[in-house]
Amino acid sequence: MNTSGLVRHGLLQAVALVLGVTFLGFLLMVYFAPDLSYQLAGKNPTAEQIQQIRQQLGYDQPLPVRYLQYLQELATFDFGYSDSSGERVTALLARTLPVSAALLLPGFILGHILAMGLGAVAAYGRGRWTDRLIAVVSGTGMSISFIVVMIAFQLVFASSYGLNWFPARGWQWATPAQYLSHVAVPTLTILFVSSGYNTRFYRAVFVEQIGQDYVKAARAFGYSRTRTFFRVILPNSLLPVLTRVLYSVPAILVGGSLLLESYFGIPGVGKSTFDAITSGDQPVLKAVIALSSLALAVVMLSVDRLYRVVDPRLRG
Amino acid sequence: MPQLVFLTVFFAALLALGGCSSEPEPGPEPQKTYRHSMDGTPTGLDPAHASNVYAGFLVVNLFDTLYRYRYLARPYEITENLAAGPPVVSADGLTYTITLKQGVRFQHDPAFDQGVGREVSAEDLVYSLKRHFDPEVRSRGSWLWRDRIQGMAEWQAQGSDYDQPVTGLRALDRYTVEVRLTRPFPQFVYTLTTAHSALVPREVVEARGREFGTAPVGSGPFRLISMDTTRAELERNPEYRREKIDLAAEGFDPLRHAGLGLESVDGREMPLVDRAVVDFVVDGASGWVSFTAGNEIQYVRLPPDLFDQALASRSPPRLKPDLEQQYHLHVTPEFGVTQIVFNLDDPGIGYQPDPEANLRNRDLRCALRKAFDWDQRNQVFYGGIAQIYPGVIPPAVPEFDPDADRSSVTHDPEGARQILQRLGSAENLPVLEYTYNSGVAQQRGFEQFRGQMSAVGYPDDKITRRVFATFPDVSRAASNRELQIWVYGWTMDYPDAENVLALFYGPNRAPGNNVTNYANPEYDRLFEQAAAMQPSPERTAIYRQLNQMLIDDCVSIAGVTRVRAYLTHRDVIGVPDRELVGGYFLRFVDVVETP
Repeated sequence: MNTSGLVRHGLLQAVALVLGVTFLGFLLMVYFAPDLSYQLAGKNPTAEQIQQIRQQLGYDQPLPVRYLQYLQELATFDFGYSDSSGERVTALLARTLPVSAALLLPGFILGHILAMGLGAVAAYGRGRWTDRLIAVVSGTGMSISFIVVMIAFQLVFASSYGLNWFPARGWQWATPAQYLSHVAVPTLTILFVSSGYNTRFYRAVFVEQIGQDYVKAARAFGYSRTRTFFRVILPNSLLPVLTRVLYSVPAILVGGSLLLESYFGIPGVGKSTFDAITSGDQPVLKAVIALSSLALAVVMLSVDRLYRVVDPRLRG
Repeated sequence: MPQLVFLTVFFAALLALGGCSSEPEPGPEPQKTYRHSMDGTPTGLDPAHASNVYAGFLVVNLFDTLYRYRYLARPYEITENLAAGPPVVSADGLTYTITLKQGVRFQHDPAFDQGVGREVSAEDLVYSLKRHFDPEVRSRGSWLWRDRIQGMAEWQAQGSDYDQPVTGLRALDRYTVEVRLTRPFPQFVYTLTTAHSALVPREVVEARGREFGTAPVGSGPFRLISMDTTRAELERNPEYRREKIDLAAEGFDPLRHAGLGLESVDGREMPLVDRAVVDFVVDGASGWVSFTAGNEIQYVRLPPDLFDQALASRSPPRLKPDLEQQYHLHVTPEFGVTQIVFNLDDPGIGYQPDPEANLRNRDLRCALRKAFDWDQRNQVFYGGIAQIYPGVIPPAVPEFDPDADRSSVTHDPEGARQILQRLGSAENLPVLEYTYNSGVAQQRGFEQFRGQMSAVGYPDDKITRRVFATFPDVSRAASNRELQIWVYGWTMDYPDAENVLALFYGPNRAPGNNVTNYANPEYDRLFEQAAAMQPSPERTAIYRQLNQMLIDDCVSIAGVTRVRAYLTHRDVIGVPDRELVGGYFLRFVDVVETP
């Protein structure tokens, strides 16, 4: 398939993905999210009042009509106003997305770097005590509930019962120092939990590479371990690494972290999404679903291009 | 191995950097900041949408209402806020004439002429009340005045044109407003203390449109700097009228308020702090950690599961000595009632066309009530300090009867067993369906209920549960009369038992407040009679009679008023009672330097 054909194919896939995700999300939202019209009616409503609000919210329209309206909103990227706060949804996203990204990116980046290092150490020391130690630590990170880790880290690092080094909750990032102090405990929490999964993944990837003939050949040519790792093993591991990293990006950018944001009082998109789910704020939910699907589609298209960049064999 | 050493050093560096950076930042932060916390999030800052206590808390600080409650007086007493004096009420109780204070100004905003806040006038009250009946506004507070103000229904029916008058709501002059009611409503003045009744400026509302609630402009003691899903930041409104605190008039009692340092605020201008930060902390554990950190929130609700850790005694509630040196303890009964209600539209436990079956179902409900152990519920869920009382009139209102017969809240398993035996074999008993929203505490509540019913011989397999994902789902199902048995809490809107007795008034049946769908013509007749009466011993007697009717008909397992414990740091001078006084206390709070 030539380049233009590949682009067309990719775009078609992306459109199908966006339609599929938005439709499923829309169905779930309509049938399982709380019906906000009852809350908006306040105390002691009449049946007429509730009906009037349902009409205003468009809940009385047939499902296909509502979905088409949703697609129109998606095309214009105008999701109107939050039914709960009255804030314009695009303004809400513009306010919360950067916060979530700033909250999660340090943990995400450091988590992968740390896991790569630990994975490499474990892979080189396969079967030895370092491998076992890292396996135990990784297993611990994977086994303990995220909530427990969050509470424990808050107690240890941010409470009068522990070190009390960082703020227990809240979010300020006007200066680098404020940012670092507020992001530290959430980042440590992410590192502890995600490193377990990532380390196991990287170890498996590196172990597979270490057994390859070209790695043995590099060592036979006199390459040091470190040189072999950075010049041979890492470049050849890039495909699975790219896949894992890139497919995590939409969740970070759009999903935020509901638990972290709720517990540490951080005004990111995860908290707004959670509030929208529990209250049935459909304009916000529609925007988040749409943004997630778009981000996923972009990643899908990018991954294909990036594979070709990092692996000459795929350039055809 | 070197890699491990590197990683250890890397983490140490991160911790050190973050730790160093947590030092206080030098900057222009005002000296007096009070950091409050609330265990929920506001519904919106437009008074028309301020339907929960969290929204109400902020709204009454950003806007002005005509009346408020005295800061320290208990039982609660109403007093003037924006109104210059008490309302003048006509002899027939239908016409209220209220005069506003002069010289009160809205906060500055570009929507005003030349950006300068104009004077608040009687027309603002007229506009603010009309808004509740404009369908486009989607008011959550219209129920307070629905069918109460002459001409409002017609105004709404004719398209809610703000330039058209409402016959029963008009500004007599710049500072005087007249409200004519359709029927006597002695609680009307109470409705003018609610956040829903706050005055908004028309030009700003029209300029902001639906986003008015995100950037509100009022004439209250504070103005909003910022708000998101986790926090609101307020600062002193420099345009706020220069009113001084009269502690005696606010109900100060040297005995009751000893040791709180309140004397120091007497005679000073409100508000006392430059800045108020309100954190929305839903998780109790997170709130406790933030509170005890020392430099974060200065006010927290003490969750009942921390009572053992924090309290030296529960009756009377007292802090442990080490905590007492750092914090003040404030114990306040919530202003409302919680009960386990029965849907009387449910044929299994409710009304039946056949009088005998009807009576049988009433006996069944009474048996369930006898089997229910309030003391156990109090110990397990409310830290053992909740108030349990017969019926739905809580101790906080003057109509409460302290001498009422307590048999309806006394655990009587033998009495329950006898009734169940009289009703026949287990096969004849209906399936009970207890509904709750997903949550550990709610599930424990069900298990306790099932255990207690089971203990008196109700078949285990006939006590079932229905679980919804969220509380709004439960409310919707209750409004649609789909539930059978569930826990129903009601936060009172004003200190008059009419507010809770209306929950059983026939015309209010679901989707209205009468979620039990109780239908008793005699109850409705007496309720209507009492609703038009001014407070008096005669009215109290009727209220108590209504309460007894609910007990006799076993409409619910009632009732309990949770008692909440709050802590403030010792440097906070104030009585932060979030109940009926709501956010009004914020203007009286001071923060001092402690040695």
